[in-house]
Amino acid sequence: MLITSTNIDEIVQSISNHVNEKAALITIGEHTEIEVNNLIEQLNKVELRFMGGIFPKVIHGNSILDKGIVINTLNNLESMFLVKNISTKDYQIPEVNFDADKDYSLFTYVDGLTSNISHYLSELYENYGMQTNYFGGGAGSLTLQQKPCVFNNEGVFMDAAVFSVMTMSSRIGVKHGWSKVEGPFIVTKAEGNVIKEINWKNPYDVYKEVVEEHSGKTFTDDNFFDIAKGYPFGILKEDGECIVRDPLMVNENSELVCVGELEDNMVVDILNGNENSLINAAKTATQDSVNQAVTPSKAIIIDCISRILFLEDNFDKELTAITRTLQDNFPEVSIGGALTLGEISSYGEGFLEFYNKTVVVGLFE
Amino acid sequence: MKVENHIIEILQLYEYAMAIGKSLDYKESCDLFLKLILKRKNLNAAWILETDESRLKSTYSVPLGKEIKLKYDHGITELLDKMGDSNIFDANETIASIAPIAIEDGKTAIFNLKEQGLLFLYSKKDNLTTKDLTQLEPVVNKFSINLKACKAFKEQEQLLHNLEIQNQELSDYAHMVSHDLKSPLRSIDTLTAWLKEDYSDQLDTSGKKQIDTIRGSVEKMDTLINGILDYSTIGKDQPESYKVDLNVLLKDVLKMIEIPDHVSIKLPELPSVFGDKYRLQQLFQNLLSNAIKYNDKADGHIEVGFEDKQPFWEFYIKDNGKGIDAVYFNKIFKAFEKLENNRESSGIGLSIVKKIVDLYGGKIWLTSELGKGTTFFFTLKKQLDGAA
Repeated sequence: MLITSTNIDEIVQSISNHVNEKAALITIGEHTEIEVNNLIEQLNKVELRFMGGIFPKVIHGNSILDKGIVINTLNNLESMFLVKNISTKDYQIPEVNFDADKDYSLFTYVDGLTSNISHYLSELYENYGMQTNYFGGGAGSLTLQQKPCVFNNEGVFMDAAVFSVMTMSSRIGVKHGWSKVEGPFIVTKAEGNVIKEINWKNPYDVYKEVVEEHSGKTFTDDNFFDIAKGYPFGILKEDGECIVRDPLMVNENSELVCVGELEDNMVVDILNGNENSLINAAKTATQDSVNQAVTPSKAIIIDCISRILFLEDNFDKELTAITRTLQDNFPEVSIGGALTLGEISSYGEGFLEFYNKTVVVGLFE
Repeated sequence: MKVENHIIEILQLYEYAMAIGKSLDYKESCDLFLKLILKRKNLNAAWILETDESRLKSTYSVPLGKEIKLKYDHGITELLDKMGDSNIFDANETIASIAPIAIEDGKTAIFNLKEQGLLFLYSKKDNLTTKDLTQLEPVVNKFSINLKACKAFKEQEQLLHNLEIQNQELSDYAHMVSHDLKSPLRSIDTLTAWLKEDYSDQLDTSGKKQIDTIRGSVEKMDTLINGILDYSTIGKDQPESYKVDLNVLLKDVLKMIEIPDHVSIKLPELPSVFGDKYRLQQLFQNLLSNAIKYNDKADGHIEVGFEDKQPFWEFYIKDNGKGIDAVYFNKIFKAFEKLENNRESSGIGLSIVKKIVDLYGGKIWLTSELGKGTTFFFTLKKQLDGAA
């Protein structure tokens, strides 16, 4: 359900009616003109359980919105948690009792601009392993200024994550559509989200040489992101699509600042994509989830905001490719989601990773 | 394409290899290496079982799971027989029985970590092949060495920790016992003094002599207890370290010691050292007292000196006394070891000296010739660096 009202009472009423005493997943567009703390207070008054995040844009049906609130019901909720201090790793993942005979889905929103998100995901997998599917995304503002962006009944927080575990089966498709231009390279030195050396050389020099030759464009003082948004890095995996990292800017030491973390000695390629490859990937991700699903009731799309920055007006085509594939197979399914700062899922139910420039489609029974 | 694939494989191997040896903590080492393999190879789980002649025990698992602690059965023995250095098995009932997490279907690669047990990598899908075994074997061997180092480091840490605790307990015990012993000793001393005084008419010479023997023994015991108290106090708290002028300190020490007329002490201009005045006083006082006490010559000579042995000062105290047989050179620094029975000697003086020198990061040794004399050498650090 999409709520466009900015009246808190009306919003609370709509959410209550929609979820019918169940828990709510609340996905808010960052330009929605509401006071989130006020919304939390009012939702607490009606004793509704909820978790949510504030994102650059939200998806409802075939629309992308800067303003608006997308509501999903969290059916069969087992537990809901808030995890603070993601950047300092000073937290413990709470215990959850899983029944071996049931299917579980874990849904999480994390502050997409905080550090050590990979550690949070690693901790989730270490504690819950293969007992659940994982799905989620990075919340935050397109201005890339870190601010409180994930919330639940306890308040709205930055440097935090919220997650719910539900007794529910889910089918997930993940793809990005970027392919290799040049590589492999070794990230010989990295710190958090900064690449400090590639092949023991200055990373910008290496990157610039490859990208300028491939694109036929020249980097100037103010066009780095305009060119770089089409040339992300891909962390090589042996069996599956690489994990994309988005170079965002060049710092004063000519090092590359990326969205998402990198580690020393990672093997990477420099990638490139085009309208067709990205849209086809979105369609394939959707098809992958559709192929596994039986009777899904809702689809949640977690699509990277940088894909819209790259595809610009053609992003409509990507969303249409997703929604049409969903509707062709499951006409009754509700479609919602967000354009995110990082995407979360487990490829083939394996180890959990934080993606960039990727689309994740989840179908929930 | 084939060459490019080889390059990628080699680089991937490089990444795995570089993840090994970054930590000496067992779990952290496993996390760094095994989680990376799970991510890069899209695998689901990894765990390590340690083996002995009859049992398997889990020491690591990601995801976390139940603890495995079981005896070999027929299935496990058969599996281990087929193992070799590494092998791939279908995730069957036997493997499920030794997995900390619930597994079904899929493949399991098992690597022999030798003394460190067995490493299991599990994939729900069938994406583990002999190619993975060949690729990973060399790095897994390196990982096994890393695990051995982690254990050795932990054992060493544990040993040091235990030693610290034992030392502390021993020191506390000695301190407490010494304190408790002093009180009844004072009573005995007082009562025997009163006995001798109040009953002097009724006691014959032999009785009075026996009371004197009792008081002598009490005095000896008091000296001993004071020695133990001193010994147990050294190193109990981090001593203060400040600049001490040894010329002033030695003058004070000589005032405290009774120097017989036939003994002369030669002092040069001494340097200043870093340390605690009281401890340094104990150090010089004990050595000088011994040099005086065990000097049997009609013309006793004692000489204090030093040399600059960067980064230490090397001091010596030389006498022309009885000398010490070389067989006792190590023994004399142990507590309660005396070379001769002397009522005023606690047998702990040189152990106190050694403990103080140790405390300041120095060394102590001696040279001696029977009948000619002894020279004690010891070093003290010139600069204050926390240890001295």
